[in-house]
Amino acid sequence: MRQTPIGNPIRRVDAVAKAAGTLKYVADYHFDDMLYAKMVRSAVPRGKILSIDLPDLPTGYYFISHKDIPEGGKNQLQMIKSDYKCFAENEVRFIGETIGLLVGPDRGELEELLSKVDISYETQPYSVTIEEGLECKGGPFVGDDNLFCDFTIDKGDVDKVFKNADRIFEDEIRTGWQEHVHLETNGAVALCEGDKFVIYVSAQCPFYVRKSIAGLINRPYEDVIVRQTATGGAFGGKEHFPDVLAGPLLVATYTIGKPVQLIFDRFEDSAYSVKRHPSRTRFKTAVDDKGNIIAMDIDVVYNAGGYESCSYVVLQRGVFHATGVYNIPNSRVRGRAVATNTFPSDAFRGFGAPQTLFAVETHLNHIADSLHIDPLELKRRHFLKKGDVTVTNGHINENVVLPEMLQQVLDQSGYPEKVRTYEKGSYKGIGISFYNHGGAFTGNGEQMIIKAKVRLKKNRNGTVDLLIGSTEMGQGLQTALIKIVADALQIDPKYVRYPNPDTSKVADSGPTVASRSTMIVGKIAERAALSLKERWNESDELTVEEEYEHPEGFPWDQATFQGDAYIGYGWGACVVEVEVDPLTFEVNTTGIWSSHDVGVAIDELVVHGQVNGGIIQSLGYAAMEKLDFSQKTGFKQVGLSDYIIPTSMDFPSQRCTLVENPYEYGPSGAKGMGELVFNGASAAYVDAVSRAVNRPIYSIPIPPETITELIS
Amino acid sequence: MITEIRFFLNNREVSITTDPLKRLLDVLRDDFHLFGTKEACGEGECGACSVLKDDKIITTCMVPVGAIQGASIMTIEGLRESERGRTIIEAFADGGAVQCGFCIPGMVIAAESLLAEHPHPTDEQIRLGIAGNLCRCTGYDLIVDSIRLASERGDGLW
Amino acid sequence: MVESCYIPKDLKEALRIRKETQARPLAGGTDLMVVHRRGTGVVPSFPWPVMIVSRLPQLQGIFTDGNEIVIRSLVTCSEIEKNDDVPYQVRKAASLLGAHSLRNLATIGGNICNASPKGDLPVPLIMMDAKVVLLSATGKRILPLDEFITGPKKTALHSDEILTEIRIPVPTVPYSHIWYRKIGTRKANAISKLSMSAAITFSQERIVTDFRSANGASGPKVARSREVEQILIGTHAREIANKIPEILSAYDAILSPHAMPEYRRSSTRRMLHYFLTKAASEDCERIII
Repeated sequence: MRQTPIGNPIRRVDAVAKAAGTLKYVADYHFDDMLYAKMVRSAVPRGKILSIDLPDLPTGYYFISHKDIPEGGKNQLQMIKSDYKCFAENEVRFIGETIGLLVGPDRGELEELLSKVDISYETQPYSVTIEEGLECKGGPFVGDDNLFCDFTIDKGDVDKVFKNADRIFEDEIRTGWQEHVHLETNGAVALCEGDKFVIYVSAQCPFYVRKSIAGLINRPYEDVIVRQTATGGAFGGKEHFPDVLAGPLLVATYTIGKPVQLIFDRFEDSAYSVKRHPSRTRFKTAVDDKGNIIAMDIDVVYNAGGYESCSYVVLQRGVFHATGVYNIPNSRVRGRAVATNTFPSDAFRGFGAPQTLFAVETHLNHIADSLHIDPLELKRRHFLKKGDVTVTNGHINENVVLPEMLQQVLDQSGYPEKVRTYEKGSYKGIGISFYNHGGAFTGNGEQMIIKAKVRLKKNRNGTVDLLIGSTEMGQGLQTALIKIVADALQIDPKYVRYPNPDTSKVADSGPTVASRSTMIVGKIAERAALSLKERWNESDELTVEEEYEHPEGFPWDQATFQGDAYIGYGWGACVVEVEVDPLTFEVNTTGIWSSHDVGVAIDELVVHGQVNGGIIQSLGYAAMEKLDFSQKTGFKQVGLSDYIIPTSMDFPSQRCTLVENPYEYGPSGAKGMGELVFNGASAAYVDAVSRAVNRPIYSIPIPPETITELIS
Repeated sequence: MITEIRFFLNNREVSITTDPLKRLLDVLRDDFHLFGTKEACGEGECGACSVLKDDKIITTCMVPVGAIQGASIMTIEGLRESERGRTIIEAFADGGAVQCGFCIPGMVIAAESLLAEHPHPTDEQIRLGIAGNLCRCTGYDLIVDSIRLASERGDGLW
Repeated sequence: MVESCYIPKDLKEALRIRKETQARPLAGGTDLMVVHRRGTGVVPSFPWPVMIVSRLPQLQGIFTDGNEIVIRSLVTCSEIEKNDDVPYQVRKAASLLGAHSLRNLATIGGNICNASPKGDLPVPLIMMDAKVVLLSATGKRILPLDEFITGPKKTALHSDEILTEIRIPVPTVPYSHIWYRKIGTRKANAISKLSMSAAITFSQERIVTDFRSANGASGPKVARSREVEQILIGTHAREIANKIPEILSAYDAILSPHAMPEYRRSSTRRMLHYFLTKAASEDCERIII
C-alpha cells in the first residue's frame, strides 16, 4: 500500500550506473570485425552533382552510396514525410547532405580517404533566410513556391473587428536556429543477426528508426531490429535524425555483411545535424478603447531547411500556440514552412511552440509599453480559463491555475516592488512571461496515428517487466513509469524493471516525443498494471497488454484543424531579473523564479530537474546561442567553443514551485512537462533586458553585441 | 614514432607502447577500455573526458599520452572504488544530479577535484569548480546541491 | 631520420632536437592538440615534427630576480593564478582563461607562442612591458613580448629557439590604479571577445607619471600605443577629464577589430573612460572594478 504521495522522490533507477560510468552508451559498444564509417557530405548548399572521384580504396574499404540500395529498395527515409533522401543522388539541397559513407577498419585511414574524395558540383544560387526562401531565390526547389505547407486557422471574425478597432499594433518577432547540444553526439552501429538486421542507436524513437529505414533494403519492418542504447540527451535532436545515420549504415551492413559503426564527432554533430526552426512571426493586433485585445491577425513562417521531415507538424504546434495563454476573441493565424538551402530544421523541445510563444509574449510587452501599462496588467486580463474557446475553436477543458501560479512567482520574486523601483533604462530590469504546452499528439493523433500499446510481464520471481518502446534519454522516464506501475501494483519499485527497448521484444508505445510519455504511455501502463494486479494469481508468468483509449467528447478535425487540438495543457509562469553592465552590456541574471502546473508530479525531484534544465536551455536560446549560416561549414558556430551554451556560472540557482492540478486523463493526475519548461523563460529574460536598457527587442538571441546595437 | 609510456592508472602501474601523440582519451577508451571517460567535444570545452592527473583535473582530449610519462591518472573507474568517489556518486544519485548522465562521470571527477581543494565549498566555489563541465540537462542546480550534499556526508574525507 | 615526435628528458636535449629537427614544442596541448586533431581514435597529425616538453624540469617555476618577476615557460595558468608574486592583472587573466581543467594544462609559454589575437595572457604582460627569453643551443635572445608576437599566430621565434622565460619588470613606483576586464563569450570557460588591461600612476601631487593600456581581441595582435599613453603623462588628475576625448579617439585608432567592430570599439571606449574617470576621482580602490 502506498504510504506516501507518488511525487515523493525516489533515487532514479539509472543514476548510479550513469554517475559511476558503468552504463554503456553507443560509442562504448564494440563488435567483432566492426568497421567504422565516415560520412561523405555535400560541400555546397545547392547544386547538381557532376562527378564523384574516389581515391583508390584499399582492400576492406568501401564507398556506400545510393547505388548500393538493393533492387526494390527506396532511397528515402520514411519520417513524417518521406522526402528526406538517405543518399543524395543528383541534386544536393544543403551543406552536409549525405552523399555516401566511407567504410573500413581504420579510422585514420578513413580520414585520409575522406580528404581525397573529390566531388564536383554545378552550383546554383541558394536561399538561406526565410525571405530568400519565400522569394524563391535561385528558383523554387519545392513545388513552385518553396512552401512545404501553408494553412490558416480562423476564430471569430477578424476582418470585421479590425474595422472597429481603437488602435492597431503591428509587430515582427524573430527567433534564430538553436542547436540541441545533447552532450552525447549522434551515433549508431548496424550489424546482421541471422537473417535480420540490428541497429544499436542513441535515439528517442526506436520504432521510428525501424519504420524509416526498412524500406531502403525492401524488407518488412520486423526484419530490422532497433535497440536503443543509453541515450545521452536528445531534446528532439534524436527524434528523426537518428534515421539519417541508421539508413546509410543499414545499406552499408547489408552490402558488406559486417558490423559498421558511425559516431559523429562534435564538429559534425553541430555542423551537420538538424536544428530548431528559425521563425518570423508578424502580428496585427486590434485593441479596443479600454485597452483590451479584441483581435489578432498572425502570420507565422518557419524556416524548414532542405527537407520537410516533420516541419508540418512542428508548424501546426507553433500555430496552435500563437496566441499564448490568452483568450483572444477573434484570431486568424496563417502558418507557412518555407524550404531553404540549409540543414533541415526538425524537432526540438517545445516542437514549434517556443517560437510563437516567445513572439506573442514579446508582442504583448510592446503593446503594453505603448499603452503605458505593465505587461502583467495586459496579460492577466486575457488569461485563458476553463471553458474558453481556443484558436482552433475547441475548448480549454481543465481548470487553469494561472492566477495561483502568478501569485507564487510574484510573492517570491518581489516583481511588483521591483517594477516600481527599477526605472526603465536603469540597467536593472525584471521580466515576466506566461506559457503553456499542449500535451501529447495534436488532436486525435494518439487515437488515429500512434495507437500506443503497453506490455507488462510478470516473471516467475515476482518481478515485473515493462516492455515498451518509450525511451529514457535523461528526462527520467524509466523512473517515472516504474513508479506508476509499482504504485498501481502496490509493490516496491525495485521489483519493476524497464529495460531499454528492443523493437523485437517490446510493444510499440509510440515515439518518446510531444510530452506524451508520462501522460499517455504512463496512463496505459497504469491501466495495464491494474489489470495485471487483478490477474496476478492466475499464473506464475503472465503478460498483459493494454492499448490507448481516447477520452470521449473532444472533437477534432485534422483536415480543417478545428476542435480540441489538445485535451490538456501544462502551464507556466516565469520571472527573470537582470542587471546589464553599463560598460560592456553583458547581462547578469540575478534571479529566476518559476511556477508550473504539470498536473501532479510523478517524482518531484525529476520534475525539479526538468524545470531547471528547461529554463536554462531557454535562457541560453535567448541570451547566447547564436547560430549563423556559413558558406563553408553550413553553420558558422560549430563545436562547443564557438556555439556557446550556458555553464554553471552563467545563471543563478532557481526558485521553482508547482501548483498541483490533477489531470483527469493522466496517471495519478500527471500531465506532460518536459517541453513546457522550455517554453517561456526566453520571453521573461528578453522582457527584463528590454526594460533594463529601455529598448524594444524584436529577435533572439541577444548577446551583448546585439544589445549594443539596440542602444546605439 | 612508437614508444613505451609508463604511468599509473587508477593506482596501478601500466605501460603502453604507442604513438606518443595519441590522445590520452583514446588510450583510456580504446586501449584500456575505460568507457566512463566520455568524448563530447574533443576540444577541451565540455569536461566529459575529465580525469585527475597527479590529483589535478584535466581534459584528456587535449593531452598526448607522451605527456603523462610517470604521471598518475585517476579515471571514474578508479575514483568509484574509493570512499570519496562513492560518496560523491551516492550524493549525485540522491540529489537528482543525474539526467542523461553523459556529463556526469566528468562532473564526479570535477567534484572530487573541487572537494580536495575546498572540503566545505560555498555555492560559488562549487559553481566555479564545475564551470568547465557542460551539462545540457540539469541547468546545474541539482548538481550544485548534490556536491554540497557530498561535502556534508563526506565530512572528514577530504 | 626526422621523427614525428620527440620526448626530450631535459632542456639541453630539447635544444639539441630543436636545432637538428626544428621540432616544435608541445606543452599543455590545449591548442595544438585541438587544431591538429583528426577525430576519435585517430592520432592527431602535425605538419611538422613536435617535441612533447610538458615535463621538462628546467622550464618550471616562478621566482623573483632583482626587479623582475620571472615565470618560466611551462608554468600553467593554474600555477600563475595561485601565485601571490605574480602581478594582479596577469593572475586575473590566467584565472579567466578557459576552464579549470584547461588551466591545469595550458602554459604561459604556449599561450604566448600560440600568438592568438584572442590570447589572454599577452594583454597584461605587454601592458607591463614583459620580455621573453629565447634560448637556443648556441645562444640566448631577450625580446620585448610586444615585438616577439608579430601578428596573428606569428612570432619572432627562430627555428632553433625555445621560449624559456617571461620576465615582468616590477615598476619602481607601484601603479596607483589598475584595471583588468575580460569580456568572454560567457561568464566562465570562455574565449575572449575583448580584454583590456590598464594602469595609471600618480605622483604625490596627483600628476600622472605613468599610464598604460593594452587591448586583446581588438586586432591582429595586442593593441598598445606608447604615443597615446604619452598624452596623459604630466597631466594633473583634475585635468584628466578634459583629455579623455583625445585619449579615446587616439586609442580607438590603434584598434582594428576584425569582427563586431562597433561592439569592441564602443566597449573599449566606455571601459577606458570609466577607468580614467574613476582613477582621477579622489577616492577609489587601487583595483578598479
